[in-house]
Amino acid sequence: MPQLNPNPWFSTMLLTWFTFSLLIQPKLLSFTLTNNPANKITTTKPTPWTWPWT
Amino acid sequence: MNLSFFDQFSSPCLLGIPLILPSLLLPALLLPSPGNRWINNRLSTIQLWFTHLITKQLMTPLNKAGHKWALLLTSLILMLLSINLLGLLPYTFTPTTQLSMNMALALPLWLATLLTGLRNQPSASLGHLLPEGTPTPLIPALIMIETTSLLIRPLALGVRLTANLTAGHLLIQLISTA
Repeated sequence: MPQLNPNPWFSTMLLTWFTFSLLIQPKLLSFTLTNNPANKITTTKPTPWTWPWT
Repeated sequence: MNLSFFDQFSSPCLLGIPLILPSLLLPALLLPSPGNRWINNRLSTIQLWFTHLITKQLMTPLNKAGHKWALLLTSLILMLLSINLLGLLPYTFTPTTQLSMNMALALPLWLATLLTGLRNQPSASLGHLLPEGTPTPLIPALIMIETTSLLIRPLALGVRLTANLTAGHLLIQLISTA
């Protein structure tokens, strides 16, 4: 079986970990999740105040 | 004679360049990094939704401390998924059919989980070697069995991925050359 040839094993291991840690992980980290859209929150009403005119 | 069907799995080399290099690097091109905008293009949004789905599935059963594993596991899933799906196209080389790649991923990650468990909760992780409710006479035998199964785990899982992918590709080739 050609997969059992131990020649490229070390380079394959290095390449796999380089791809995994230096390519895929930074790409994934650059995603920022957006909050799901929700209805307008109307529970808190702002308390009205009067402007102090001098 | 029939062993020539396995020739499709030999690491291809073109002009002295091992082709496993582009076949590992290029699937990342299908996952573009999003820009600085709040809402990006549709491809990035779909990717984000998918990544979020995967992360939710993995992390919901875990407490806050387990969420440290989110990046590692999600990026592993995305990498393996993209590599394996691309391998379904004709004349492509799938690096996950190589035992070297799967063992390279399996051994360090398994060891990481084992050592983390032993370091943070040593008695609980050793306690996992004996399932609950074991009858007393069976205890020594079961501890040996569980230890063996623990130590064999990276080999078993690595070979499992390799064998599944190899079998799938072999089947595709056998059916196509029938």
